[in-house]
Amino acid sequence: MDFRFTDDQLLLATSVREYLAGTHGTQVLRRLDEQGNRDPAIWQGLVDMGLTGVLVPEALGGLGMGLVEAALIAVECGRACLAEPLVDTAFVAAPWLVREGRTDAIAGIVDGSRKIVPAHAINPWLADGEGARLQSVDPLRNLTTAPHDASEDPYLLDLGALMSAAQLVGIADAMLEQATDYAKLRSQFGQPIGAFQAIKHQLASCMVAIEFARPVVWRAAAALQAGGAHAATHVSHAKLAATDAAMLTAETAIQVHGAMGYTYEVDLHFWMKRAWALSGAWGSRAFHVRRLDEAVIGGTIPIGPEHTFA
Amino acid sequence: MKLGFSPQEEAFRAECADWLQAQMTGEFRDIRGITTLTAKAERRKEWEQHLGEHGWSCIGWPKAWGGRDATLAEQVIFAEEYARAGVPGRVNHIGIELAGPTILAFGTEEQKRRFLPGIAAGSTIFCQGFSEPGAGSDLASVRTKGRLEGGEWVVNGQKIWTSLAHISDWIFVVTRTEDGSKGPKGLTFLMMPLDQPGIEVRGITQINGDAEFNETFFTDARCPADSMIGGVGDGWKIAMGLLAFERGVSTLGQQMAFRNELDEIIAAARANGAAGDPLIRQRIARAEIGLRLMRYGALRMLSNTDHSKIDGAALTYKIQWATWRRSLGELAMDVLGQAGEIAEGEAYEWGTLPNLFLYSRADTIYGGTNQIQRNLIAERGLALPREPRGDL
Repeated sequence: MDFRFTDDQLLLATSVREYLAGTHGTQVLRRLDEQGNRDPAIWQGLVDMGLTGVLVPEALGGLGMGLVEAALIAVECGRACLAEPLVDTAFVAAPWLVREGRTDAIAGIVDGSRKIVPAHAINPWLADGEGARLQSVDPLRNLTTAPHDASEDPYLLDLGALMSAAQLVGIADAMLEQATDYAKLRSQFGQPIGAFQAIKHQLASCMVAIEFARPVVWRAAAALQAGGAHAATHVSHAKLAATDAAMLTAETAIQVHGAMGYTYEVDLHFWMKRAWALSGAWGSRAFHVRRLDEAVIGGTIPIGPEHTFA
Repeated sequence: MKLGFSPQEEAFRAECADWLQAQMTGEFRDIRGITTLTAKAERRKEWEQHLGEHGWSCIGWPKAWGGRDATLAEQVIFAEEYARAGVPGRVNHIGIELAGPTILAFGTEEQKRRFLPGIAAGSTIFCQGFSEPGAGSDLASVRTKGRLEGGEWVVNGQKIWTSLAHISDWIFVVTRTEDGSKGPKGLTFLMMPLDQPGIEVRGITQINGDAEFNETFFTDARCPADSMIGGVGDGWKIAMGLLAFERGVSTLGQQMAFRNELDEIIAAARANGAAGDPLIRQRIARAEIGLRLMRYGALRMLSNTDHSKIDGAALTYKIQWATWRRSLGELAMDVLGQAGEIAEGEAYEWGTLPNLFLYSRADTIYGGTNQIQRNLIAERGLALPREPRGDL
């Protein structure tokens, strides 16, 4: 087992991070919130980077990469609080449609003319779907009621849960960075509040949670890519670990910001609300805990020394 | 120890319940069940006046000043029935629970005559000017300046998180009146009318889209010299006395509101099947235990009649309820599942439980953050050495 990434994989993640940091900063989030939350120019920029084709086989005009690379990019989308449905379209819909042999929409996904968010029965809402818009707590998320003929395919669910987990890791990273920056700037009692252990220890606990969620997400991506027997268990583990890390970090980041963290004018709430939305999407905490307990206690995961950490 | 209420107290309870429910099904049914402090502000002011007209606005105050000399038990009962009837929070709670008791405790007879009748009648709405952009947890570092000039106090500076300043008539302000003073010394407590050219109020939008708080700017704002409570330099003592009132009877009514919230979560869990999830069931059971803990803790706190000392119950109460309620918000969201993500209409407005989740984020911050609370518990309750500080 080797958790290291190749230079190409790391370069890909870094380039997406830098691109989004340069073109999708908080002033863009504010503009999207105030003036309508989808922007064709942002979408086209992502398409031009080739991100819509990451998981599409080369024979179909894509880059032919795997879920590990896609998960690394999804982390960056979370970090940037990206509103455009890149993850849903390129990292959930595209691999699912390819697997289903429904390749007629793939060219449109790659060239950016199609945004597809697949409906799964586990989600009552469909992001960026047709129909009357529902007001989500996340002002950058466009929801409609899910259609009745939603898929029940477990592979689709696992893709959605994995990519939500990856985004949640990036969201948690971003919130921890904002809270840490604030703790260095904000002074009370004659020193930066980050000098107080009461603040320091809380932020350190978030870092622990995030760092232990990150490799679980990588492991799940590799497992789902390989299609192993226990891939679903790894995905559930990833969704739970990332949800817990993101919710802890959201709670802590607001607390560290004090009353400022409770205002709409501080940017933090965009990430906090995305964390909330994605925590519930593609299977609640209870759903994923149940999948794990059924696997562990129900015997799907073989236990005993010869099966260590299967 | 005497648990439970006497027959007379139960009769009083029935009287409160009858009157409150009659109002909430009658003339004021349009405000029943409102959970924010901002909605229907004008009607809420009328409600304050209605309470005053019928002698229910400040029952714990002396009869001479519009109260009923109600016993502690009676105040508890009224607060419980108030929440049980679904009556929305008091837009003048600062006036009734903080400004009034502060004036009663520290004000002159003239000040009592000037302010108390209006507060009791619900016609004088008060807000609180303590925090500043640079003085939050470190409240004693206020920089808003006050100086005496021609028989008036002239105030310059900025306050923040002034809840409901936009609908209030008066603000009490902690000002620095001694040049060069630091920390709790050299502060003075002033009562100022908001409607004057020197005061500007700007709303702050919260994460739930509501705007209860404000920034309040003072530019040569004025009030008469005798609007000072206590003496020059007594501001910190008065402010701390006032914050002790904040831990008072209102906490018990608050628990009935918490009861309503937990009941709504239980109903939602039954309705959507979440009650079948063992994790949810256990969290609901733990929330129930936590609520009861707080109730007994608050009753114990209120039965301490020596208010010159803060006992263990009082010292630990804020962090207990705030942390409990923040967890309750998270439980509410897990019970609702993805349904909680959606607003009730097209606007960015939230039902009771999603709003509970969002609003309870602030509970562990305002009135002393959990971190400040733990320091107070450790330093005052356990007499541990004081937290090292930087150069002030």
